[in-house]
Amino acid sequence: MFVSLFLVGACTNLEEELKDTFTEDFDPINPGLGQSENVNKATPADGLGGAFQRLRNGSANHGNYFSVVEISSDEAVITQKGGDWFDGGIWLDMHRHVWQSTHPALNGMWNDNYGGISECNRLIQENTVGAEGIAQLRTLRALYYWRLMDAFGRIKLVTVPGVDAPQATRVQAFEFIESELLAAIPNLIDGRPAYGRVSKGGAYSLLARLYLNAEVYTGTPRWQDAIDAADAVINSGFYSLSDSYAAVFAPDNVENVEHIWVIPYDEATATGMNFAQMTLHYPSQLTYRLQQQPWNGYSTLEEFYNSYENGDARKANNFIVGPQTDLDGNPILDLAFDPADADGAAINYTPAINELAPSGSRQAGARLGKYSFKVGQLPEMDNDYTLFRYGQVLLIKAEAIARLNGNWSDPGTLALVNQLRSRAGVAAFSSMTEDQFLAERGREMFQESIRRTDLIRFNKWGIAWWEKPASAAFRTIFPIPNDQIQAAAGTLTQNAGY
Amino acid sequence: MKKFLLVLLVLCVGFQGSLMAQEKTVTGKVTGGDDGLGIPRVNVTIKGTSRGVPTDIDGNYTIQASSSDVLSFSFIGYISQEVAVGNQTSINITLQPDVTSLEEVVVVGYGSQEKKEITSSVVSLDTKDFNIGNINSASGLLQGKVAGLSVYQKGGDPNSGPVIRLRGLSTVGSNVEPLVVIDGVIGASLSNVDPNDIATFDVLKDGSAAAIYGSRGSAGVIIVTTKQGSRGASGLSAEYNGYVAAASVANFQPVMTPSEYIAAGGNDLGAETDWQEEITRTAITQVHNLSVSGSSENTTFRLSTNFRNVEGVLRKSGFDQINARASLDHYALNDKLNIKFNMAMTNREQEFSFNEAFRYAALYNPTAPVRFDNGEYFQAILFDNFNPVAIIEQNQNVGKSRNLNFSVQASYELFDGMNVTASYAQQLNNSTAGQFYPSTSFFRGLNRAGLANRRTDESKFTLFEAYGTYAKKYDNMNMSITGGYSFQEEQFTGFGLEAGNFPTNSIGLNVLSLSADRVNGAQLVNVFSYESPENRIIAFFGRANFTIDEGIFLNASIRREGSTKLGADNQWGTFPALGAGVDILKYADLGGFNTLKFRAGYGVTGSLPGPSGLAQDLYNYSFDGSVTLTRAGNPDLKWEEKSEINVGVDFALMDNKLSGTVDVYTRDINDFILERQVDPAVFGASRRFENAGKLNTKGAELSLNYTGIGSGDFTWTPGLVLSSYSTTLEEFVIDEQTIAELGAPGQNGTNVIRIKVGEQIGQIWGPVYTGVSDTGSPIFADLNGDGQLITDQGNALADNGDFQELGQGVPSLELGWTNAMTYKNWDLNLFFRGAFGHSLVNTFRAFYEPIDPGAINSYNRTKTDLQVPSLEVAQFSSLYVEKADFLRLDNVTLGYNFDMSNNANFKNIRVYFNAQNVFTITNYTGIDPEPSLQDRGAVDNGGSPGNPNVLAPGIDRRYNYFTARTFTFGVNVGF
Repeated sequence: MFVSLFLVGACTNLEEELKDTFTEDFDPINPGLGQSENVNKATPADGLGGAFQRLRNGSANHGNYFSVVEISSDEAVITQKGGDWFDGGIWLDMHRHVWQSTHPALNGMWNDNYGGISECNRLIQENTVGAEGIAQLRTLRALYYWRLMDAFGRIKLVTVPGVDAPQATRVQAFEFIESELLAAIPNLIDGRPAYGRVSKGGAYSLLARLYLNAEVYTGTPRWQDAIDAADAVINSGFYSLSDSYAAVFAPDNVENVEHIWVIPYDEATATGMNFAQMTLHYPSQLTYRLQQQPWNGYSTLEEFYNSYENGDARKANNFIVGPQTDLDGNPILDLAFDPADADGAAINYTPAINELAPSGSRQAGARLGKYSFKVGQLPEMDNDYTLFRYGQVLLIKAEAIARLNGNWSDPGTLALVNQLRSRAGVAAFSSMTEDQFLAERGREMFQESIRRTDLIRFNKWGIAWWEKPASAAFRTIFPIPNDQIQAAAGTLTQNAGY
Repeated sequence: MKKFLLVLLVLCVGFQGSLMAQEKTVTGKVTGGDDGLGIPRVNVTIKGTSRGVPTDIDGNYTIQASSSDVLSFSFIGYISQEVAVGNQTSINITLQPDVTSLEEVVVVGYGSQEKKEITSSVVSLDTKDFNIGNINSASGLLQGKVAGLSVYQKGGDPNSGPVIRLRGLSTVGSNVEPLVVIDGVIGASLSNVDPNDIATFDVLKDGSAAAIYGSRGSAGVIIVTTKQGSRGASGLSAEYNGYVAAASVANFQPVMTPSEYIAAGGNDLGAETDWQEEITRTAITQVHNLSVSGSSENTTFRLSTNFRNVEGVLRKSGFDQINARASLDHYALNDKLNIKFNMAMTNREQEFSFNEAFRYAALYNPTAPVRFDNGEYFQAILFDNFNPVAIIEQNQNVGKSRNLNFSVQASYELFDGMNVTASYAQQLNNSTAGQFYPSTSFFRGLNRAGLANRRTDESKFTLFEAYGTYAKKYDNMNMSITGGYSFQEEQFTGFGLEAGNFPTNSIGLNVLSLSADRVNGAQLVNVFSYESPENRIIAFFGRANFTIDEGIFLNASIRREGSTKLGADNQWGTFPALGAGVDILKYADLGGFNTLKFRAGYGVTGSLPGPSGLAQDLYNYSFDGSVTLTRAGNPDLKWEEKSEINVGVDFALMDNKLSGTVDVYTRDINDFILERQVDPAVFGASRRFENAGKLNTKGAELSLNYTGIGSGDFTWTPGLVLSSYSTTLEEFVIDEQTIAELGAPGQNGTNVIRIKVGEQIGQIWGPVYTGVSDTGSPIFADLNGDGQLITDQGNALADNGDFQELGQGVPSLELGWTNAMTYKNWDLNLFFRGAFGHSLVNTFRAFYEPIDPGAINSYNRTKTDLQVPSLEVAQFSSLYVEKADFLRLDNVTLGYNFDMSNNANFKNIRVYFNAQNVFTITNYTGIDPEPSLQDRGAVDNGGSPGNPNVLAPGIDRRYNYFTARTFTFGVNVGF
């Protein structure tokens, strides 16, 4: 009875008070990432973290943006290894260019990038980060929109939280991204950005990339604009080539001189980079004393591997090939080796791959090692992912000059390309063809999620390559994900050809 | 609110009035008209009051009554009689057996009714109906006994409960299991009541019966009444029940023997190890229950203690439990006031072992030794393959759980026919759990210098209810009206920690305090701390029952209920119910029928989502110092509602020898709540919870009992329950999709279940196997005949895709067949159980049966009669979908009752021998053909099962515990 009287006040109270989570945004009182003895430094407590951290989603793990743009290109493949990695054929489809709108990774990359856009929209609407902060958010949002426009063509350009927008044409999306970047640049920092953030250099780099592909997106080339945007970066004096190619991508690559805009990853505080797990064979756990067993998925196509000459520092850095040992130098064994494998159980990563499916050899294929591994690491990695770096901007300018002048051996082009070849320890080109330029760009930019865009611009996307037949023109744009069409209730229509 | 205060007021005022009359002592004896013996525990009451006494063991009674009183004599199974006292002081009565037995009292929400008055589908069971044997959970007592109640336990894991479904799916959300009400405490947990202490179950199957419970009754209601002391039974009585059981694995996964493995190309490591034998054992369980009950004139009590020491067939799995329960029931103020106390305490200490060991045991190289010659475990780095003996022996996986339940209830008779009741209950649970993986464990812990975690959780459930009941008899009508208020609040909080990098493997879990992670910047330490909001359900309810002319029965109820979990403007829902029944024989003489009652009911119930905070936006802090929106709130989230129509007939024929019940029903689940993809461009996050669609279930149930077989001392009473249902997805935001990924290795992205608007739930979906190619790949059928073979998952639903339905995950018919036989003091029960029409995806075969040339070196293979020897590539198809119809001799009990009629010390002694899971007739090649009604997702390489998805039935996953065959010897002694 007493208890009942005690309860009277609560008699019809149905207010829900959540106790262990946040129902609104707040400014953390600690600086965040890696404040202790971590190799990474901290990203600034500037209120922009929510928008920038969304870049981590799918950019360096399996199953989303990285997987789609890499596996559909000629520089990476996931073979079916007997009973392993068939996965309903979705990665074989991606390699053969027969993907469907139901592909889960397409839906994943759509969600990831719109998730980032929503954070930008929310923070812009809150308007508490100052003009420079807003400019960074608009630049970042332009990058998310560039990814979506580049992949899907016709997308929604939503700029206000909760307010829908009609599906734009690819040209409209291009114009929106261009205008956003041009509007943001005056308010951005003229110098190197704070860690994990973007300054004028990043915005100009994205603009240069946008103009370099303008003909693909709009039908109208913008070569001079691409050169001008690249020059704004190159002439700024804030960025230069790193002496060591490997150092640009290593676990401790924080604030490398070449970095213009990076996604900061950390094994504990900023997770989302899983390259070691994705590419290494199970027993390679012993080589790096990995805390979890890797998955033996990704490798490089033999032809792409062979495009590097011996002695190219990039070849040594970008791939893991040959016999593998544990930390003490003992050979490591795959007890489930293929009987047809001449090497037997000892692990030996051979660049040649017997077949895509169904019985791709478990040990075949050069492994993806560009973002190198740390001994004893977690499934998560510490390396920062390079969205834009000085070397890439040199290549944009070099290509734009060649295309503007109709000459791949233009001295301006050769000079820029040879800067990169020189660093890699290979002989300078005295002349160059279009194909040679594309191959050079591939060698330099491997594993940086840009090969697909390049192949489309060079009209090589539809050609046949290893275990991939020629593909139709409509495949240069991905289908709008089926789940999104369903969720959008009539406000999204499918791309032509799908 | 006002109503609530009124109830309190009348409760207080009501203590005042009570009148005394001129009374005398009346004595007598009640005997049975069948055998002439005294009947114990007959209710002898003074008509029109609640005063009464039971008869003693010999049928004698003594009661105070006045000359104007009428004595009423009633007992279950006999026709009641009434006698005016007049000037008599000795009244002897002979009660005639009531063969129709329809006078049973059925417990319904906030009260009870005579069975004949029930207009909905309700099944009542008492101890003689329960399953016998090594049963460690209350729901095990019911398995197969109630038409429409599915209790399926995949495997014999002593630490996990069965999946319980009443009439199939009632929601796609979390509230899929029936509401449990224990001694009036709604929302109680079955895990805190020992099977030995249960007296009766009343299962409310349809919406019209459950609507009085509102939201939590959508999946049906199971009302448990525990054993109580009986009033007036002179003195004390004690009882002992105990048994010892031995369980062994009923079925091993069929795998290659060492010689078959070597012949198939396996790597011969020189030993012969039966891994499945190595990880299992003959498990011994012992259970002891001791109880005392007794009474004085106004007070009854019962105390009970249960000890359970349970072993699972998987080594190191099992639990130790002690449970104690006390109840006290006191009458005061001339029986107008009744106070009941119930307390129960359970302390359970569990060892979970590692169910992953089953899968690895089926997969591990059968020629590998358990240990190297130097005594270390044989281990090698292979994808998703670990020495299963090492997993069990090296690692530790333990938990402790303590439950405390308390309830108090007071009722008071304000005036003749008007009773008010208030009750308060609390249920508290504390649990701790932990895992330890030493640095030598390849499974987990290697390269981490050891890994350990501990967590602690506590939860509290509070219930307060108050209601009043008014009953009145008119010339031609009985009426009963109930109204009340209910307040429920549940809350949980928890804490957990995981770290690694230890200096030693020697002190188990407690090495956590030595974690070097602590000083290494702590970046590898996982810490969890969580607390739920006060999740409340508040309700006002009312019910009216009318019995007209003893032949027409009307019931109506309404509940207005609010929940904290819904959008602010949609928190309240209204749940009405109506029912009507008619005793046909009252109005028409149908030759041959002894009973014929028609009834129909309609009821609406609601359902709530499991998680809290769905109506609010949620933000997440990330360690890089950023805050992001992680889930979009849905401020419009409203009640999921289930409306159900049930029509039934109760009948008895052939001099009551054949009796039975038929029910048919249809139920619509509207606005079901599901987390789904939304447009991320608009909502900011890609998923949120929405009222997303509509399901319809139609079904029929039949139960039959026949008592007419036997001669002389031999009787045979067969009983049959049959049920069938199918569920259709009527509306959904997505027209068609495939779900339920098969998993690694190699079959991620391979969805095996299709759900489509307008079609049945439970379609297993895939390509059709026709043969094997020269290269060892499967060849599939060109189902649409378009000349091209398209079987990649991207085209699973495309017009040109070659996919079709390969089976149904939900059985179309479920059967329980009891046979009770007696011969003199012997009794024999045979219970068969079966399910038909369902298929299972045999995932062991789908992954491990093809002889992959890259895997055969080190991974053993599944080997069944369905194996295609030259097949090398594992790819999902019809080859791995098997019909899983089965009929099982589930339970056999042979018992002997010693004749104690001349023994002064013992009331009864019974011994029995029981066997469970005796044999199974099935063509399914996996270990267990039981239907799989929900799916907890793919688990590989160290993951753990996810939340159950009820839209994906039909998948026999690789983590299911092995089934056990159990032999039990038990004894019941009454003192």
